Parts: sequence; C-alpha cells; structure tokens
Amino acid sequence: MDVYINSTGHYLPGKAINNDEIENVLGLIYGKKSRLKNKILKSNGILHRHYAINDKQQTEISNSQMAAKAGINCIENSYLSPSKIQMLSCATSQGDMVLPGFGSMVQAELDISAVELHTSHGICSSSMMALKTAFNNVRCQDSENALVIASELTSRLFKNSRYEQLDSNEVDFNAEFLRWMLSDGAGALLLENKPRATGKSLKIDWIKSFSHANTLPVCMSVGQAKSECNKTWQDYSSYAEAEKAGALLLRQDVRLLDNIVSIGVQGFLKLIAQEHVTPNKIDHVLCHFSSKYFKSKIFDMLETAGAAISEEKWYTNLYQRGNTGCASIFIMLDEFINTHNLKAGETIFCMVPESGRFNCAYMHLTVVG
Amino acid sequence: MDNKVLSQLGQSCLQSLLTVWLDFDLSLNKVSIIQRLEQGRLSLEDYQELLLNLRQQVIEGSRWISRCASSFDRHYSDVRSTVISHATEEHRDYLLLEADYVAAGGQLEQIQSAPKNIGTEALHGFLMYRASQPNPIDLIGAMWIIEGLGNKMAVKWSKQINDQFTFKQSVTTFMDYHAENDENHMKELYQLIDRVADSQQNVEDIIRTAKVVAKLYKMQLDEVDND
Repeated sequence: MDVYINSTGHYLPGKAINNDEIENVLGLIYGKKSRLKNKILKSNGILHRHYAINDKQQTEISNSQMAAKAGINCIENSYLSPSKIQMLSCATSQGDMVLPGFGSMVQAELDISAVELHTSHGICSSSMMALKTAFNNVRCQDSENALVIASELTSRLFKNSRYEQLDSNEVDFNAEFLRWMLSDGAGALLLENKPRATGKSLKIDWIKSFSHANTLPVCMSVGQAKSECNKTWQDYSSYAEAEKAGALLLRQDVRLLDNIVSIGVQGFLKLIAQEHVTPNKIDHVLCHFSSKYFKSKIFDMLETAGAAISEEKWYTNLYQRGNTGCASIFIMLDEFINTHNLKAGETIFCMVPESGRFNCAYMHLTVVG
Repeated sequence: MDNKVLSQLGQSCLQSLLTVWLDFDLSLNKVSIIQRLEQGRLSLEDYQELLLNLRQQVIEGSRWISRCASSFDRHYSDVRSTVISHATEEHRDYLLLEADYVAAGGQLEQIQSAPKNIGTEALHGFLMYRASQPNPIDLIGAMWIIEGLGNKMAVKWSKQINDQFTFKQSVTTFMDYHAENDENHMKELYQLIDRVADSQQNVEDIIRTAKVVAKLYKMQLDEVDND
C-alpha cells in the first residue's frame, strides 16, 4: 500500500525573537549577560526563533496545545474531517506531563475520538520514529490515514532561574550551549493511503534510520549532573537536590558533536550502497543540520567520490524559524512545500541526525499529482 | 582542494573506502584506551604505552611499503614511483615517535626493545604477505586506512593529549607530523585510486584489504591495554 503526505501544518508561538531579544525572554542568569551567546549564535547561524514563554518566563501555551494547533492547521489544509482520523502519532523530547504519554494529551486537546495512539520519545529524530510508525500503520492497511505531530517546548528548561538553582553557582559551557540553539514550535503531517484529490502529494518511498547508542557515549541529555557516571535525577532523595546538582539541566557534550557528521555521512553512504538513493537523482535536500558542517573535510571527500548533492538543492528554514528539535523537519517540510512550485516526479531527501546518543534518520519522498 | 576528477569506478571505490573508514572510525570508540584519550581520562602511563605500542608497527611500516613498491612490475612503474616516494617520506617516522616517548618521560631502551603486541604481529604479517604478491594494488586500501588514522591523530588526538598534559617540549611530534603534507597525501591517494580502480575486481580487492587492515589496526589498539 502506497502512503502519501497529503497535508502539512505548523505552529510557532508568539512573535519572532531576534538574537538581541533572547535574554529578554529567557532571562539573565544572575542578572548578567552571557559571554558565550554571540559565539554560539555565530556558529549556528540562527537569526530568529519563537518561544512559548513570555518575558516573565511564564508559559503562554503548553506543548500539547502547540501540537494541537499544528495538527489543526494541517487538517484544515486537507480534505479530511477530523472525525475521520484513525491514527495519531506524536513526538516530543519532553511533554508537559511526565506521564501519561504526550500523544494522550495531544489527542485530548484535538478532541478526536477513538484513534490508534502512538508516542515516540527521544530528541530530534523522535519525529521520524513517530512518522515511521504511522507510515507502517497505513502501509500495512491497519489505518487509512494518520496524523503525525511533533512539538517542542524546550524554553522552559532555559529560564535563568533554572541555572540559578545550581549549588556550584557556575554554569558550564555544555549546560549553556543549547540555550542558544533550541526554541519552541510544532509541525504536523497528514498521511493517507491515496493521493490528495487536488494539488500535490508527497509519496513516502522509504524511511530508515541507523542508531549508534552502543558505540558512542551520551552527547545530549537531561537527567545527569556534570561528571556524574551512574546517578540520575530520580536517584536523588528529592527533585530539589537533583536540580541543585545540575541533573535537570539540558546538556550537550560538545566534544562528541563531530561524531554526528561521521554517522550522518556513514548512513548516507550505506543507503547509496544499498541502492535506496542515488545522489544525482535527488532534487531537494531537507536536512536538520547546522550549515557549518558542510564546510568540513568529509564533504570535500563526498564531492570527490561523486556522492555530494550540490548546494543549491539544499533547503532549510532553521535560520528564520529556529531549531525546534524534533519538530524542525516537519516545520521545514511544511514551509518548503508552501514556498516551492513542486513538479510531479521530483524527489526530496530528508535527513535528521540526533546527537542524543547518535541516531540518524533518513526519508525519501517523490512528488505526485 | 584541487581534486582530480575520478572515474566512475574510482568514485565508487572512494565511496566504499569512505564507508570502511567511517565504520573503522566508529569502532575505535569501543577501544578502551581511545575512549580514555577522547574523554580526557588518559594517564601519562597510558600515553607512553600507546606510543610504545605504535612504534613497533610504525618501524615495520616502512618495510611493507618498500616491499609493496618492489612488487609492482613495469606495467605499474608509475604506481611504483609514487609508492617509493611515500616510503622515502615516512621510513624514519619512528624517530619522531621515540623522541615523543622520551619527552613524555619514557626510557629510550624500553621503547626500542619492546616486542610487538599481538595485534601488531597480525597487522604486520598481513601487510608483508600482501606486499609480497605481484602488483599488490589492494594495498591502496591499507594506505587509505593508515593515512586516515594519521589525519585523525593530527587533528584530534594530538589536541586532546596536549589538553591533558603540559611538557616543556612537544610530546606529539609524531601525531602532528601527519598534518603536514596532508593535502598532498590525499591528492596522491586519489590519483592512485583513479589509476588502479579500473575493474570491479580491483575495487573489491582494495575494499577487502582496507577492511582487514581496519580490523587488525583496531586489534592492535585493543592490545595496548593487554600487554
């Protein structure tokens, strides 16, 4: 059974926040401007982003509400009645509640009945996991359609007050790094077992991923304090103690970050060798990647090896919409479709590397209709 | 980089070599001494031990490259020339390694008299065996892996070692040496691939040897902790 992406939608909270305004929203840690901010922003190239918290660090809209808004936006662009949705597959790195699953909360917000429900948990690639489950569900004819939603509200982790709880009074580089990288938003895709009645659909040719958690250490995490090997957040006698130790901060071990390029390229070469993809037949590339990596030596080698995809085929809206973790690829796809006059037969290659413990997901789409 | 445009077979060979390299590079994350090195937990004794173990392979390195050169017949005289110049450039590398060992507090007699670890035995044995075959074009695969590792030492390991230790004089001249001429070496390798990857069989032979060398090199590094 062929499966098509027949509609897309997104939701970005509040107004676009430029680089000078970030600390007005997230707050100044101990009242001081960050010394790292400009360096990290220069390297990731992000110019605008959205936050679901206001300048008093109060939550304006919850993660599940954002997800629902993206879902409604997606359904309203489609021919399907919400009451006909058969499956809801959701992803986030952290829901509003620890339990139940994010999908349950999103379903309640959407008020859609008796759907088959799936929640995938992880970081950037969790949206691709949610999408793959939905894709397989429609492909094996368990459902005629599926709504897939990915949403992130990480700004709550970046409030100045979080960092000010630390016993050590000292915010290390790895704990601050992501404060200047991530922001909030949600994206949604509608999958159906037949192409859209009018206009264009994207046929999903395949979705594959390769995870390397057994080989590489944790690189992006919440739940463990700096230099702690075994003890995780629930092992403290109180959550307050865990927070004081820094176990609840979102961390990135930047020393390990280069591995993301290696595993991304390795998976790509594997897909070429397995004849799932032919580089010169790809028309568009959507990649959840910071552009600085394209300047690396390995991309020179890919070019020499005839496996590179020319720069004009790459699309991203990361710099204007921010890095919204797992929601990024859906938000990117939504804007890409709406700003490009796609022709039947064109191919789109998507790639979502996740540095959490190194997973990389890939997808191949063909424009139909 | 002004790279030579490779033939289609050459490009497919390079794609496979890149895959073998990335598989190897990832597998090194499972080697205990490399984990300690890359995660800032290397002791000075560890570093001395690493140099001592590498030295026995490096000193034999010049021998297999020289033998490899002499095994090419007149139809490959151009390849032979490239391999000879490569051997000339690197056949005294081990002196840098010994100097680093001494600068890091080791005794010269110790590094000079240490036996090969069992991974080195296997790696050296395999390389000498292949180098003794007529026209051993598959050894381009071995050069690819060893060159790749040289580059990794120069751009990553050397920095990490210097972050961990401070000495009056450099203890990483061997690792740093590979950063010099790196572009030339890559160009040379690309040209060699273009020259010899002219049949599917040759490509398969190159890839197979690259895989064996990667596996044996990893074994050599695993054995650093076992001797």
